[in-house]
Amino acid sequence: MAEKMTRTVTRRELLKIAAQLGVSIAALEVARRFVGAAPQASASDGSSRYHWAMVIDLSSCTGCNYCSYACKATNDTGPDIYWNAVFEDKRTYSKPVFLPRPCMHCEHAPCVDVCPVGATFHRPDGLVAMDYDKCIGCRYCQVACPYGARYFNWTENTAINAMTPTWGAPEIPRRPRGVVEKCTFCAHRIDAGLAQGRRPGIDEEATPACVNVCPVGARVFGDLNDPNSRVSELLRERESVTLRESVGSHPRVFYLLPDGGADL
Amino acid sequence: MKTLLFRRPTRDIVWLGWITLLALGVVAGIYAAIQVFIHGLVITNLTDQVPWGLWITVDLSAIALSGGAFFLSALVYIIGIERFKPAARLAVFVGLLGYSAALCTLLLDIGRPDRFYHPLLMWNTHSMLWEVTMCIVLYFSVLMLEVFPMLAELPLFAHFSVAQALGHRVHRFAPVLAFLGLGFSMLHQSSLGATYGVLAARPIWFRPTMPLLFIASAMATGPALTMALALIVGWLRRRPLIASNILFDVAKVSAAALLITLYMRFWDITAGTYGYVPLRSEATNLLTGGAMALTFWLWEIGLGSVAAAALMLWAAARRSEGLLFVGAGMAVIGLVVNRWNTTILGLTTPLSTAPTLTFPLTPTYSPALVEWAVAAGIVAGVTLAFTLGMKFLPAFASTE
Repeated sequence: MAEKMTRTVTRRELLKIAAQLGVSIAALEVARRFVGAAPQASASDGSSRYHWAMVIDLSSCTGCNYCSYACKATNDTGPDIYWNAVFEDKRTYSKPVFLPRPCMHCEHAPCVDVCPVGATFHRPDGLVAMDYDKCIGCRYCQVACPYGARYFNWTENTAINAMTPTWGAPEIPRRPRGVVEKCTFCAHRIDAGLAQGRRPGIDEEATPACVNVCPVGARVFGDLNDPNSRVSELLRERESVTLRESVGSHPRVFYLLPDGGADL
Repeated sequence: MKTLLFRRPTRDIVWLGWITLLALGVVAGIYAAIQVFIHGLVITNLTDQVPWGLWITVDLSAIALSGGAFFLSALVYIIGIERFKPAARLAVFVGLLGYSAALCTLLLDIGRPDRFYHPLLMWNTHSMLWEVTMCIVLYFSVLMLEVFPMLAELPLFAHFSVAQALGHRVHRFAPVLAFLGLGFSMLHQSSLGATYGVLAARPIWFRPTMPLLFIASAMATGPALTMALALIVGWLRRRPLIASNILFDVAKVSAAALLITLYMRFWDITAGTYGYVPLRSEATNLLTGGAMALTFWLWEIGLGSVAAAALMLWAAARRSEGLLFVGAGMAVIGLVVNRWNTTILGLTTPLSTAPTLTFPLTPTYSPALVEWAVAAGIVAGVTLAFTLGMKFLPAFASTE
């Protein structure tokens, strides 16, 4: 009996346990994948009334950068952080084309998939949001974002916001050092606006700052679930693209092509 | 004690000097780490375009080079090659140090070290990084249990019979631990590659071969590091830490794994040169003919894979410890260069959002002094722990 107590596990037994464990894990995984919930919830699963989208008209954008300024003032970002950056494409067309790049709020957001702690997540209405109290600052989401839309707080933001008060006033608290941040589609405005019975995309108080400030009306915000919304109309009438479609992220930001430019 | 490399007084001075040097490295590393904690990651050369750099390379390399622990343990306890036991024992100790280094580096690399425990409580099971973190933590626990019986043999614990009894008890479960370790290792060694491999945003990484390459290269270079260290210790003591006939057999296994890695890599790269995939084609050119061509062809392929495998096989045939050391050493360097190239290549290939529109900056990165200091401190720390372990742990200090 004493001998039996001290004997080690034999190889045969071990392999048996291994096989059993392996089969169980595989079965669980298969069950989770095919029987369980889809990998991530998105707005299109019908859990929300709204399908927010932004449409940016490349034929009218003049590259004035007002959207970047208003965004910076409203969201109070650090000196080097522009949630809404504007890039210039000098080569595709005969004249320069400007491409503003907010967060795409992808329906299949790579950043949501990769965040190890779920600090980046889909809200019930499908917008990609962040919980700054969860973020550990690993920056995997930055590496995973196909659009370079994510910014890390390399240092504490103690600077005076150069865009205030000319371009607006801060509406959300500053993020601490060591966490990632990005464009929210001014979700705070959408939420507060809806609570007050306002219509995002129509009433300014409930609409992203970049959309309100655009002097040429190149940016339009609204609900794709509403066939009569401006965004729905534009996407029906004009030819549009999303960026890096091959990635399969299904952005909520659509670009209307410049005149005579189906080859963007 | 009579057959040592130096006469006793000289030997003591050399040993003391070595320990002092490593201790200074650790102190410098701790100083640098404190600077990072005080000022934040802004004092590194990392940017939003290249958010991962030298530290991730240290991290990936440390984990891959610790791969000898799970691979050799599996060969001993699961395949049943009992004679590899001394090599597996050393590899487990090296593995524990390697994972300690990886955990230290990760702690520095995250923006909020105070939230290091978040992945344990807040699960996103879709995240490769979450899976890797959980596996590393669990595997680190397994390694600690595996090393515990070695520590319990220390004379320090002679008066604590509880520790010794516990050590014996834990040691009895060595096969179970080896099996658990194998599971956790296979999961995270490969999913560390998948951490890159699942990112559609970076087409040069977005390949199903990434997890396979990561685990295969770990199986090749983990044992290589173990062999190189065993040889150094053996030479310094003038008596082998691990019998050379065992080492030559391990060398064949390591070389075989290296050649399998090379074979997969060949088809991986070759297939990647056909057709045009935006960003992948540019990155492939950068690697094979551009800025990274020298390190790629010379270190990753030439010396790190082809020559390293050939030298290890030749060493086994000729029974030459010197050749084995050079071959194993080159495999280790090749691995580190591979992890660096993999990371930097994916991040410095500019993201383009439209066919002709790339970000105005082509990202570049070279580590800041503080990053080097932290990395050097961590390497010095594990080397110091290894040196002390070889001197004082009965499992290694008194080789039969």
